[in-house]
Amino acid sequence: MKTMEVRLHVNGEPKQWTIAPGDLLLDVLRREGYFGVKRGCEAGECGACTVLLNGQPINSCLKFAAQAEGADVLTIEGLAHGDTLDPLQEAFLDHGAVQCGFCTPAMILNAKALLDRKPHPSEEEVREALAGTFCRCTGFRKPVEAVLAAARGSAR
Amino acid sequence: MFDTVEAFYRPGTVREALRLLQNGKNRARFVAGGTDLVVEADRSTRILIDITRAGLSYIRRKGQACVIGATTTMATIENSPAIRALAGGILARAAATCGSVQIRNMATLGGNLANGSPAADTATPLLALDAEVVLADARGRRRIPLTEFYSGPRKTKTLLVEVAIPVPPRGARWSFQKLGRTEDDISLVNAAAGLQLDSKGRAKWVRIALGAVAPTPIRAVNAEKLLLGRKVDRSTLAEVCDEVEREVRPITDVRASAEYRREMCRVLVGRALQECAAGTGCSL
Repeated sequence: MKTMEVRLHVNGEPKQWTIAPGDLLLDVLRREGYFGVKRGCEAGECGACTVLLNGQPINSCLKFAAQAEGADVLTIEGLAHGDTLDPLQEAFLDHGAVQCGFCTPAMILNAKALLDRKPHPSEEEVREALAGTFCRCTGFRKPVEAVLAAARGSAR
Repeated sequence: MFDTVEAFYRPGTVREALRLLQNGKNRARFVAGGTDLVVEADRSTRILIDITRAGLSYIRRKGQACVIGATTTMATIENSPAIRALAGGILARAAATCGSVQIRNMATLGGNLANGSPAADTATPLLALDAEVVLADARGRRRIPLTEFYSGPRKTKTLLVEVAIPVPPRGARWSFQKLGRTEDDISLVNAAAGLQLDSKGRAKWVRIALGAVAPTPIRAVNAEKLLLGRKVDRSTLAEVCDEVEREVRPITDVRASAEYRREMCRVLVGRALQECAAGTGCSL
């Protein structure tokens, strides 16, 4: 099988990986141990595979790994600083915004991209930012509250 | 899923991208956002050519026209001050409905058109705006109306590189309407309208475009003609909407029946023209 090299940064660390030309970013990230990137629908519908690519949320199931050449990728594993959780992670815990947890990394990463761009969003803007992530436990209210609380409480 | 792919190229120019396509015979495909191509999962593809680094991500003025590079994402378009200010922001509004935040950060304008879906959300406003597309192949570039792009034969060995939007008529009003199961979902029907009135309130210039109701996005040209020179009152609107119903060719699929789509064409075009006439049309 033919292979190629891809160089990128994941959670701030430089990486060089050998990939197949048709590998999807989702598959490569999970193969490399980033299990916070969830395999859901694999069709861009559920959002569970969301990562930030150069700060923008994308569905890693629809992105070829080769397209991430030179990119900065952030997964949920890169959000906390050591034992100190990101304010968004704290807010999700405080508000009980996690049920089974499968969609939580995607919810938090989408929220982070929103707050980085807009530190004090309206509730509608939060809902819009989370709209591409399905929670099969149907817990949509508390994540919105958590993001709004993180926006109020943080010094971003 | 793509274990049949043998090579992945990231050309830095359109010329290089076209050369790679030529060399790839019929087994090479362009990829940009990937939001359609990856889901389609065509297993005959051996070579992928990523055009997102070929210098086609831009929004700029060219003479009087506004030009948009093919790999410009929906997110860039919906947030662009220039596009939001153009024609009441109908194109920005349509781009903002093209799927979730994640999809809009990936999906490109060129892909939305070149994929050829009759439900492409950006196609209807672009038809109402008399947009043209610039196609590049080994021989050079040429510009054709979007209507021709959709009605003509399928072009192979060609890359859609740019969309050009001419200056809209002065004082025209605009509306974009989309009916989907949710705001982000694929359109069951979408419609765009542009209307310029003369000093007596009669239609001087009209555009009515519809999506997901025919094999391609279409303009309802007979309905447009019917409205010309007349005031947009209740009885005229009813006549125009009757004509729209005759012009569309909707199908029944898993999302909606042909009958329902036909009825919704009437509703959406009616709303769009009323918004235009009242000057309460598209705003962001």
